[in-house]
Amino acid sequence: MPQCLTKYHGEMDYDDRATLHFPKGLFGFETETRFLPIERADLRPLVFLQSLTTPDLCFLSLPVFVVDREYSLSLRPEDLAAVGLPSDQKPVIGSDVLCLAIVRIQQGGPTTANLMAPVVVNRQNSKAIQAVSLNQEHAHQAPLPACEELACS
Amino acid sequence: MLVMQRREGESILIGDNVEIRILAVNGSRVKVGIEAPRSIPVVAREVQLVRTENIAAAAVSSKAVAALVANLFRQGSPETSRQTSNTSDKTA
Repeated sequence: MPQCLTKYHGEMDYDDRATLHFPKGLFGFETETRFLPIERADLRPLVFLQSLTTPDLCFLSLPVFVVDREYSLSLRPEDLAAVGLPSDQKPVIGSDVLCLAIVRIQQGGPTTANLMAPVVVNRQNSKAIQAVSLNQEHAHQAPLPACEELACS
Repeated sequence: MLVMQRREGESILIGDNVEIRILAVNGSRVKVGIEAPRSIPVVAREVQLVRTENIAAAAVSSKAVAALVANLFRQGSPETSRQTSNTSDKTA
C-alpha cells in the first residue's frame, strides 16, 4: 500500500483507488494534479484534500450542501466534459459527483467556503475539477452556517 | 466606473497597447477579443478571485485548523448536516 506524508495527519497509508485526479490542477495550483481525500469519523463532514506531491499542501473542504442546503450545480459544458461527464445534463450531487467547497480560515475574520468554484469529482472515474460556477449568486466567501450559529451561542 | 456602449465588431482602446473588441453578442453571452502585451496578465475576474482564495486557504496554520475543527465538533451539527446532504427534503 502506498504511503504519503500529510500536512495534518503525519505519514499515512492510502489506497490509490481513492486518489482524485485533477487534470488541470486547482486555480493557483495548476501543477497539483493528485489529491487524497481524507475523512475522519470524528471530524465529519470535514474532508481534507491532501496533495500527493506536496506534503505541506492540504485544503479543508466541506460538502456544498453543508454550506448551502439548496446548492445547485451550474457548470460549463467544457468543465463537465473535462472530467468525463455528459455535457448536456446536470450531474446529481451525491450520486454522480462529489461536490466540495474549499474552506478558508481567516485570521480574525469569519471562516468561509468557496461556493463560486466547487471541487467536482466524477464518482465513476475519480477525475476532478475545480470549476467556476455559472451562477453568480455562488459566493467565493460564503459564510459557514455552523460557525455563525456558534458565534451567537 | 466608465460606461461605454459598443456594438458587435467595435473596439475600446485602453492606453496605447490594449484593445478590447466585442466579437459577438449572443443572448446573454458576449465574446470579447483582447489584444495586449504579454507583460499584462489577462484573466477572468472569477479566476483571479478563486486563485487568491485557494492560495489563502492553503496558507492556513495547523493551529487555526485545530480551532475550526474544535468549533465544528463542539457544535455537534455535523450529523444534522450530513442528513441534509443526503436528502432533498427542505422542510427541516
